[in-house]
Amino acid sequence: MVNIDTRGLTYDVQGFTVQDGPGIRTTVFLKGCPLRCLWCHSPESQRFDPQISYMKMRCVGIDECGLCLAPEVCPQAAIKAGEWVDKPAEPGVQIQLPELDRGKCDDCGLCAEKCPTEALFMAGEEWSVDRLVERLLKDKTFFEHSGGGVTISGGEPLSQHDFTLAVLKRLHEEGIHTALDTTGFAKWEVLAESVPYTNLYLYDLKNMDSKQHEQGTGVPNQLILENLEKLGQACADFNRKSIGDYSSAAVAAADPRQVAQIQVRVPVIPNYNDNPANFEVMAKFCQKLQANGALKIIQLLPYHNLGVAKHERILTQGQILEAPNMDDSHVEPLAEILRQAGLPVQLH
Amino acid sequence: MYKKSPISERIASIRERYRNTVPTIMTERFKIVTEFYKAHPDLPAMKKRALVFKELCEKMPTPIHKHELVVGDLTSIYRGSALYPDCSAWMFENFRVTDPRERELDRYEVSDEDLEYIWSEEDFWLKNNLSHKMDNSLTPGFHKIVGNGVTTFGDKGCSTMPTGHYCVDFELVINKGFKAIGDEARAHLAAIDGKLYGEDAKKAQFYEAISIVSDAMLTYAERYAQEADRQAAACEYPERKAELEMMAKTLRWIFKNPCRTLYEAVEAMYLYQTASGLSEALHGTSWGRADQYLGGFYQEDLEAGRITPEYGQEIIDAFCLKLAESNRVSGSEVTYANGGYTSGQLITLGGVGRDGKDATNALTYMFLQSADRLDLHDPPMSVRIDDDTPEELWEAAIETTKRHGGLPTFESDNAIIPALAKRMSLEDARDYCLIGCVEPAGAGDEWPACGGSGQESFWLLSGLANQAINNGENPKKGPDGKTTGQTGIATGYLYEMKDFDEVLAAVEKQMDYFVDWHIAFTNIHEYVVAENAPLPVISAVMDGCMESGKDVSWGGAKYNSTGFAGVGLGTLVDSLAVIKYMVFDKKLIDAKDFLEAVNSNWEGQEELRQTIHKIVPRYGNDDPYVDEIAKWVADKFSAKVSAATGPRGNHFAPGLYPVALHVLYGMISPATPDGRKAGEPLSDGISPVQQMDKSGPLSTLKSTSVFDHSEFPNGTLLNMKLHPKSVEGEGLHKLEALIKSYMDLGGMELQFNIVSPETLRDAQANPEAHKDLVVRIAGFSAYFTELFKGMQDDVIYRTEVEL
Repeated sequence: MVNIDTRGLTYDVQGFTVQDGPGIRTTVFLKGCPLRCLWCHSPESQRFDPQISYMKMRCVGIDECGLCLAPEVCPQAAIKAGEWVDKPAEPGVQIQLPELDRGKCDDCGLCAEKCPTEALFMAGEEWSVDRLVERLLKDKTFFEHSGGGVTISGGEPLSQHDFTLAVLKRLHEEGIHTALDTTGFAKWEVLAESVPYTNLYLYDLKNMDSKQHEQGTGVPNQLILENLEKLGQACADFNRKSIGDYSSAAVAAADPRQVAQIQVRVPVIPNYNDNPANFEVMAKFCQKLQANGALKIIQLLPYHNLGVAKHERILTQGQILEAPNMDDSHVEPLAEILRQAGLPVQLH
Repeated sequence: MYKKSPISERIASIRERYRNTVPTIMTERFKIVTEFYKAHPDLPAMKKRALVFKELCEKMPTPIHKHELVVGDLTSIYRGSALYPDCSAWMFENFRVTDPRERELDRYEVSDEDLEYIWSEEDFWLKNNLSHKMDNSLTPGFHKIVGNGVTTFGDKGCSTMPTGHYCVDFELVINKGFKAIGDEARAHLAAIDGKLYGEDAKKAQFYEAISIVSDAMLTYAERYAQEADRQAAACEYPERKAELEMMAKTLRWIFKNPCRTLYEAVEAMYLYQTASGLSEALHGTSWGRADQYLGGFYQEDLEAGRITPEYGQEIIDAFCLKLAESNRVSGSEVTYANGGYTSGQLITLGGVGRDGKDATNALTYMFLQSADRLDLHDPPMSVRIDDDTPEELWEAAIETTKRHGGLPTFESDNAIIPALAKRMSLEDARDYCLIGCVEPAGAGDEWPACGGSGQESFWLLSGLANQAINNGENPKKGPDGKTTGQTGIATGYLYEMKDFDEVLAAVEKQMDYFVDWHIAFTNIHEYVVAENAPLPVISAVMDGCMESGKDVSWGGAKYNSTGFAGVGLGTLVDSLAVIKYMVFDKKLIDAKDFLEAVNSNWEGQEELRQTIHKIVPRYGNDDPYVDEIAKWVADKFSAKVSAATGPRGNHFAPGLYPVALHVLYGMISPATPDGRKAGEPLSDGISPVQQMDKSGPLSTLKSTSVFDHSEFPNGTLLNMKLHPKSVEGEGLHKLEALIKSYMDLGGMELQFNIVSPETLRDAQANPEAHKDLVVRIAGFSAYFTELFKGMQDDVIYRTEVEL
């Protein structure tokens, strides 16, 4: 049963996200993830509770403001005067920024409440299903014109499955195309329940070797692979019921809002999963999905280092991979392995 | 599939010359006009303007530069600028204060001798220019309202810009020619001569002037033909020799006869526009639907085997490069408003034809191709979008604007045609073009007077908030620490107002008052032009003038309107939202303290200012709290302006676009209640205040379409910032869908900068490495590195997106 009274925690709701499925989309980023990927480009998505985020660029400096330094604003005394930097857009003018001691901070949020510039802000906003759906429906015109819709992403949205399912169901009833961006690391029952309301799964495949998977993400891959295989079958079953056919051709020809499909997404990480062997195993695995008509495409996402700046912003204590952005030419031979196996592939 | 093709060697070398030549101020026109005006103080205005044009056509240099295919120049040297002391005498003092050779922006070369000569005629021109006549025509009340912060005129040195922002009927230039036009005027004159009843005496003056300027056009073309002959005779290279001979033949054919080929038509258009520049200068002189005028000739040329597609493209390249080269020197302060030597000669592409069906043709693509492959910021181009705009055109337009900010802009036929059809026939409305920056107008059949009085045509919505809460005073203090005193209506102070409705009532009173003053100024300008500087060179090729026997300035065109451009909508709307939220709804601050904070430029109030930015709902975020205020302002403003009338039996046409004056006028505007500090840019067009569009592009488009754009027939302008990542690959189609959605919401115009803030910062630091980076400001595009820092920062703030 879908529980509509549940509440969800997001770290962002963004319009015109162009890389999260077809058409113009608005994406809901839910907070909290059971995985800890080294290359995570949204470190603020990892924890399941609101946390202080700090965007230094916005701060006007403690001389002009300094509100966050008052003792009552930080009972933990985690904020003190810190480095001097050039004022943004006014080179030559120096301002002193506050410094946040992440070890002492307990994310109480008082400083974010006080901070007028939103340099210190809480990553994490609570939504009711109704309020979120109302917000998403504001962008309906754009979805209709572009064959777009809403993507529920994360974090791992299935970690907040009650909320995610309720939102997907409501959007589905409104005739809006829905996509679910998932790591696949969830109970099968939960994933299964989402099938009737989800038109497109953006399903991550990070590494076909379970041990390496665990090294890079903190969890083994058995559950993820099992779920993906079952999901392929479930999508086929759903499509047969919905449009009377489950072949790739029939699914491609149908109204995208009446079918369930899977878009496999592979973040290509340097010296981690960018080896041909990994992609050969992946090709075999995906051929099974293709056979039951559920595979829309395999999308390869070359590593980029945007996460590094965000990492600093959130002051995560964990590690983050810092490497140069990956060139398309590096990914092309890997894509070719998949193409040779007869699979549809897309770069970016 | 869109493809950018390489340019020919000849075009490459012309482009190289264009990019590496600093323009030069030349005095040839100045001298001819000075001598003529001194010799003929006795001539009536209409005849004087016609005869001075004749003199210019007979005496001005007619250079053909190396490699040139399309010819026409306003001076003897490459990239020269002519001077127009008959229009305004700004240059004498301005050149004395800031040597044009040493100014920060739009630097010009000029010889010492020429400067000395210019100054030697100062006394004469100070008393004989049009701007001087304008100063002397202002009514007594003007002296009392100067400095109000809403209207932008002073009580002297007014109207320094020449008449501009219009489009003549190029089909008359191409398909009829000046021989036939002169004959027609003479026939009209003969028919009434000796029996001048009613207004016929005035008409006779007009027809005679048209006859004079038409003949002068033929002389001008013949003199260019002679120059082509001369160069052909001296040319050692057989290919160029043949080309020059062909050019001479063309120059002798056009104007006398209807054009037969693409090249003839292009040369006729360009030479006409050059000749009109001898008379009225280049100020938003627009090209109308150039693809429509030329498409048929190109098709016939191809079918007859007269040209190859490559050669056709080369002709268009040459034409666009001529437009890019052309420039008119303006005052050093004006360069801060529209730097980059821009002359704003807009080309309109695509859209429906007079029959209502999509009329995209080969030329539509060829113009975009030229803009893209030549990396030009000028000429500006607008693509009209209709229900059947071909997919290939979407692709070509988006690919071009990805690399060149604002080239083209996207214009909605579905919004603009109904707006214009309120004052013209449906067929004529369908045939509209964009003029100046983004202003819809009839193509060759309307005198829209949008740029009428130059930079004083702009009117600051943003200033209304200050007037309304300061009892009709502009809180801006002069160097003496004093304000100009009461310049508006005494509507009381903010702390005397009981609720927000009283604030709105005060805003409405100030709005009505200052709209009326602006109308007064504009109509005086019209009177001065009509009496002292009628426009026969334009009227000769404007539909309606020949039939009515009236100059465009006398109301002779088939359609008439007067543009009225409001600037700073977002700044006003946000100011009102802040007052409503902080003072009345949430009562977070005492009205007196708030007013004090604004009027002291937020001195010592950084916390309050930042809090305002943080908590108050702002325009551009799809929030009804503030969007309702935007709708209220837009409705009141359009209703008030539309009701006003001009002297040509016309109504005023409201618009919301700033050219780039939101930066310049921001520099002189005091702090506003939205948290903006004195000197910072105002919001631009109908765009949200810079950096206050916190909810992404979809919400911005919802907010900006909350009011009825068809009530703004003079145009709306929305500048959008997008990160290049968002249009990679599939993103192209998503951008197309985004534009379509906006137009379905009623949006009229949309333009983009698709460039990352990192790239722009790098361009500030290393200008040489980004010499060809084109960005859109508001009403025009420019090379980023040629803008002044305030403008560069404005563009950077607009592109600040977080991924």
